[in-house]
Amino acid sequence: MTANLMFYVFTALTALGALGVVFNRNTVNAAMCFLLSLVGLAGLFVLLEAYLLAVLLVFVYAGAVVTLFLFIVMLLDVKGGRRSPFTKGTGLAATVAAALIALGLLSLYNHGRIAAALPAGPGSGSSLKGYAYQLFTTYLLPVQIVGFLLLMAMLGVIVISKRQAGTEDGK
Amino acid sequence: MFAAMTPELLQAAAASNQWGAIFPELALGCLALLLLVLEILLPKSAHARIPVVAILGQLVLLAVLLWNFAPTGLERDTFNGLLHHSRDGQFMRAFFLVSSILVCLLGTVALAKQKLPRVEFYHLVLVVTAAMMLLAQSNHFVLLFVALETVTVGFYILVSYFRASPLSLEAGLKYLIMGALSSALLLFGIVLLYGVAGNPALPGHTAEAMNFNALNAFLAANPDNFLAKAGIVLVLAGVAFKIGAFPFQIWIPDVYQGAPTPVTAFLAVASKAAGFAVLLVLTLRAFAPYATLTVPILSVLAAATILFGNIAALTQHNVKRLIGLSGVSHAGFLLIGVVAAVSTPLALGAVYFYLAAYLLATFAVFGVMTHVAGANDAEQELDHYAGLARDNPFLAAVLAVGLGSLAGIPPLAGFMGKLFVFIAAFKAGLYPLLTVAIVGVVISIYYYFGWIKAAFFEAWRAPLQEGEIDDRPARTPVAWPAGVTLGLLALCTVLLGFYQGSFGEWLLTR
Repeated sequence: MTANLMFYVFTALTALGALGVVFNRNTVNAAMCFLLSLVGLAGLFVLLEAYLLAVLLVFVYAGAVVTLFLFIVMLLDVKGGRRSPFTKGTGLAATVAAALIALGLLSLYNHGRIAAALPAGPGSGSSLKGYAYQLFTTYLLPVQIVGFLLLMAMLGVIVISKRQAGTEDGK
Repeated sequence: MFAAMTPELLQAAAASNQWGAIFPELALGCLALLLLVLEILLPKSAHARIPVVAILGQLVLLAVLLWNFAPTGLERDTFNGLLHHSRDGQFMRAFFLVSSILVCLLGTVALAKQKLPRVEFYHLVLVVTAAMMLLAQSNHFVLLFVALETVTVGFYILVSYFRASPLSLEAGLKYLIMGALSSALLLFGIVLLYGVAGNPALPGHTAEAMNFNALNAFLAANPDNFLAKAGIVLVLAGVAFKIGAFPFQIWIPDVYQGAPTPVTAFLAVASKAAGFAVLLVLTLRAFAPYATLTVPILSVLAAATILFGNIAALTQHNVKRLIGLSGVSHAGFLLIGVVAAVSTPLALGAVYFYLAAYLLATFAVFGVMTHVAGANDAEQELDHYAGLARDNPFLAAVLAVGLGSLAGIPPLAGFMGKLFVFIAAFKAGLYPLLTVAIVGVVISIYYYFGWIKAAFFEAWRAPLQEGEIDDRPARTPVAWPAGVTLGLLALCTVLLGFYQGSFGEWLLTR
């Protein structure tokens, strides 16, 4: 029962935080809402007994990434811009999309019920050792690919942001 | 629970990771790293040689791949079931390698007009190609997602590579947002499938729910599960973004226009083909028990995609937008092949043949576009082609062959590709789809021939006023490597239309 209640609390925190990111015009507030959303998500991971994921999420995302966001926001002194109001077409499309999503959720609610309560499966993701074992045996190839992905992302940042001699912004 | 790291355990782990089976991907990755190392080691004056290293290295790799095209151990799973090697996978490997070589070659022409870092471009293209090869052979959702993200992140960078051009940056941003959305849909679908297939309350539940074989077995045991259906639909939607099928084609015109021309070619050919390779693996293997669900969805997508792509392309004046929207319609024709492949094995070969013909024709057209384009890469209008036949008959001839093949004019390869797909669809009894496809072909002839007309027939232009300058960009002279390649592409398009030979036989008999 407590777990159920906790689930709803954390889900609400995650969803409301995410909404706050989208709707906030102030960038710092949006980053803070993102932080809240991540804490809610970490709570959900704890309920699933994926403690390592929860800790990593708080360390890496909440600790490092959001801090980086805040640094950049403050360095650039970004002001919340003014949104142009939605056109009629956008409003209509949004209404139709929202109705379709509501329909989808309703049918998911009606048909997607799982009959019996499930016994908890053996989680390999609860301990650091379990993770490491999986990463270095079964999923060795994806880990190597992610290495290339990160290198490529780093190169991309350099290519797109570095000022080149000879272009108009490189003087 | 976990044994200590004994030597036996390490040996078992090493034995399950057969690195030799992914030699082409490994070689491409190493070549990509070598390019970066060369940039550090070589003096600045020798940097112009690095693209040559990239292209020659890939040519050697292609030769090795074709020489050992049917290695021992095809039709088996490696890396603990993460990969499945098949002859279709071998075909896709060669396909991606050829497109990567051509993109690098176009890159040398296009990058010469810009002051931008060079080596990173080739590095990105090579890594993305290796990831596509793995994607086409994936047998597990974890590997599929990681490879797909590698491809997508590489394309985010490549699309916004011309960073001094606002349109290129805008295209990069649009691709980033739409790509993230499609990845989210795909991931949500995967999670639903994983959750439902691992549910101990259901018959045939599996602990390896990410594995396509295990998923197939689970789906066969549960023929009418709502959550599985929802997951399949979401996964298909995520893949439909990659191939640019209606209604997920919204990003195509802007991204194709803003991206550097070689990258647009890469997106139009290799990225689309990777999407189709994944779609074939999913519909024919993993989701095969749910054919009653996938076939109607893909049929509706195919019909809508053909009509939308062709009708939207009619009004375009920018050639990059035009080829993007015509690519949407080609995705529709290929989707017909995928639908037919569910019941007719012949259709699988037809799809691969269509892809090969599409590669030859599209790169021929993009090769010409790269030479006609000026320094402003995003503004390539139809009237820039005026007088091309008079000034440069070679480029105009290549353009005519490429566009003719894309339109499906006999006896070019594109016609044979369409014919094979239509025959397969006829055998599978998809008559309504065939009707839509033929209507689409007829519409497409209008805009393809409009482009050919712009190149071959003089249109009246208002005489230049005093002080007004001709805004049409100067054409790049054709250097011999690009000339030879374009000639070969056009020649292959013509030859493959007349005579499919052992290539067609290899593809169509199974």
